[in-house]
Amino acid sequence: MNTQEKIDLRDTMVQTLIEAVDQQINVAVAVSDSTSTAKIAPFQKKFPERLVNVGIAEQNLVGVATGLALGGYVVVTTNAAPFLVGRANEQVKNDVCYSQTNVKLVGLNAGVCYGPLASTHHAIDDLSIMRGFGNIQIFAPSDAVETREIFRYALRYNGPVYIRMDSAKFPTFHEEDYRFEPGKVDVLREGNAVTIIAVGSVVHEAMAAAQELAAQSFSAEVLNISSIRPLQPQRIIESLQKTKRVITVEEHSLHGGLGSIVSEIIADNGLQAISVRLGITEGQFSKAGPRDKIRAYYKIDKQGIVETARKMMGN
Amino acid sequence: MANEFGLDYEQIEQKAKEIRKKIIMMNSRAGQGHTGADLSETDILSSLFFRILNTNKQHLSDPDRDRFILSKGHGVGGFYCMLAEAGYIDESDLETYLQFDSKLPGHPVRQKTPGVELNTGALGHGLPVGVGLALSAKMSGRKFRVFVLTGDGELQEGSVWEAAMCAAHFKLDNLIIIVDRNTLQLADRTEKIMALEPLTDKWKAFGCDVHETDGNDAAKFVETVEGLNLQNGKPHVVIAKTIKGKGVSFIEDQPAWHHKIPVGDEIALAIEELE
Repeated sequence: MNTQEKIDLRDTMVQTLIEAVDQQINVAVAVSDSTSTAKIAPFQKKFPERLVNVGIAEQNLVGVATGLALGGYVVVTTNAAPFLVGRANEQVKNDVCYSQTNVKLVGLNAGVCYGPLASTHHAIDDLSIMRGFGNIQIFAPSDAVETREIFRYALRYNGPVYIRMDSAKFPTFHEEDYRFEPGKVDVLREGNAVTIIAVGSVVHEAMAAAQELAAQSFSAEVLNISSIRPLQPQRIIESLQKTKRVITVEEHSLHGGLGSIVSEIIADNGLQAISVRLGITEGQFSKAGPRDKIRAYYKIDKQGIVETARKMMGN
Repeated sequence: MANEFGLDYEQIEQKAKEIRKKIIMMNSRAGQGHTGADLSETDILSSLFFRILNTNKQHLSDPDRDRFILSKGHGVGGFYCMLAEAGYIDESDLETYLQFDSKLPGHPVRQKTPGVELNTGALGHGLPVGVGLALSAKMSGRKFRVFVLTGDGELQEGSVWEAAMCAAHFKLDNLIIIVDRNTLQLADRTEKIMALEPLTDKWKAFGCDVHETDGNDAAKFVETVEGLNLQNGKPHVVIAKTIKGKGVSFIEDQPAWHHKIPVGDEIALAIEELE
């Protein structure tokens, strides 16, 4: 695809769910009131009998999703990430993860998507919480093609999956023939001066920063970690051995997310690399306001990444 | 598919007696366990597995089997002893109860024990999952029924009432909620800690078809369950009045026996009472 046309990742998700039913996958979608948050209307229109709305009750949502899965459905819950992960946390842990049921938890509007609506609506802890649970695979797509491929994979995999989703529209940089492989590091750009590792929609900021740095004659390598678990670290290790400098970028707390993962890889493998973790300050709630301002404040936007990279390289 | 045992009331009570003896011996051997809860639910489990449910160990993955969820997961000791009595697990497995990485952990684990449908132990989880299962049967045109056994103290969890509202909304008349109403919870009497009464009225207000029965009397319990109208468009609630620790005089109705086990002379005394 590789296009500048911006696509809402939820539209891609819904189209992929419809495609799956058409391909005889026994999908059921469970929502708690928020059909508009999920933009699920096209699915609901085509398969009303496969959509279950339990009202505003997230604990029951995840329990019901588990029951539907035990009854033979491939169940997708689509709910705003802060409530899915926070309110229904123990149901996620016990009913989905511990019981290993075939539920795909989709955390919508993750990170600080809901910018001005403040911290009740921000999900800056979902990756760290999910990483604390066993049995669950964890993914975060960055564009439409990757979203499609991740959903295609998840719907065919028998077991718990968490998909961290963004609500905004994004251009596509994956080619149409891209195929998602769980565990594989997605190399978006090769370079040797600094490695920028990003997750989810801030991958776009990382790519924009890399372009800016290239214009200033610094070559940045950009790695997209769309598969958070499983994750094969080898390509990250190779990159850090080459550049010896790494910046991690995430719209998530610095506790337990991508920065933590990369730090663990550095420590576990005795790598000699200078690292800077960009994300929401640990031990604090995220600032509220327009999303671009929040990103700028935490330096998880293009400008912040460029400045961080230049500083690392002594410029 | 029918229940392979199809026992009559007297035979169910005989099975319950054997299960109770197993509970005493297993918990004493393990040095831990929820003896009061195990003994409270025994007649309910015996009635379900030796008569009511269409399941048996040969059909554990049959999509049309009735589903049973032990939402009061701490009652797992009674459940394991029933599974042994019904041949789902070996008698010798009971000797491994609570041991490191054994087939029989202190709360049910579906990956480990045949007959377990859901990993419970945290309270308030079984009913939402039961609602999802019952709904899946409606959506896919299957005829199986879903039985969820909850504790009474467990009903203080808000998720139970989210699920009750949902079950009635979707008219899940293939869902049978059994409340083990022994009136005790860990700390004390339910009515003292956080009152549940009027419990029947609460379930009715949520849109359920509610019945009260004696949960320690196989005949009355089976008659109540077999008498349910499963085409009435309402989820069913059977409030099974029980005595926590039923069958052993010094354990009965004592809050302290929530997770105590018989020791020393108590073991022989308990077995003697159960003979």
